[in-house]
Amino acid sequence: MVEKDILVRIENGLHARPAAQFIKKIIPFQSKVVFALGSKKINAKSILNLMGVSILEGQTIRVIVEGEDEIKTLECIESFFRGQND
Amino acid sequence: MKNNNVSILLISHCYEIVSGLKNLLNQVQPDVNIAISGGIHDEIGTNAFDIKNALESVYTSNGVVILFDLGSALINAELAVEMFGGNKKIIFADAPLVEGAYAAVVESGLGNTVEEVANAAESAKQLQKISD
Repeated sequence: MVEKDILVRIENGLHARPAAQFIKKIIPFQSKVVFALGSKKINAKSILNLMGVSILEGQTIRVIVEGEDEIKTLECIESFFRGQND
Repeated sequence: MKNNNVSILLISHCYEIVSGLKNLLNQVQPDVNIAISGGIHDEIGTNAFDIKNALESVYTSNGVVILFDLGSALINAELAVEMFGGNKKIIFADAPLVEGAYAAVVESGLGNTVEEVANAAESAKQLQKISD
C-alpha cells in the first residue's frame, strides 16, 4: 500500500469534466484507490463517490493506493492532479 | 455513430432542459452518442413519435439507456419503445435526470454494458450532494 498527500492543482478543482477524465485514466489500473478528505474516505474509482465530494483547487487530499500496480497508479494520479491531463 | 459505447436518450417535457444537459454531457464525454427529445412544437410535453425517432437515431446493438424527467414522459417513452420493436437492448433508468445522465455517460465512456450504465444512473439516487 502507498499513501501520499497530493495538492490539487487542477483549475477550478475536480468538477464534472475533470472528474470524468480522472475516472477514465485510473480505471485501467488494477489497484484500489481511496481518497481521504478529512474524516471521509471514498472509493476514487467510483464516479458517484467523486460527485459526492467537492475537491477544490489548492486542496490537499490523502491518496491511498493498494494493489500490484500501486506505484504506477499513484504516479498517474499525481500527474493528473498536477494538471497534466493530456 | 461515434463508437461502440452504450447510447443515451434524454427525455424531458422541455426541449431546453435536455438540450442543455446534452451540451454538458458532450463536454464530459464526447465519445458517447446522445439523443434528446423534449417538448411538443415549442410547448411543454413529450411526444411518442419524436421519442421513437430520437431512439432510432442512436440505437446500436450495444443498447440504449433512457432517462426522463417527470413520470408522464415514461408513458410516451414506453409507447415509443413499443413502436420501435421488441428484443432490443433498451433500459429505462429510474434516476434523477442530471446526476443520473452524468453517471451514465461516464460509465458508457468506460465501455461498460447497458446494464452497468443503467445501474450507474440509478445509483445517483443515493447521492448526497451536501456533505454533513
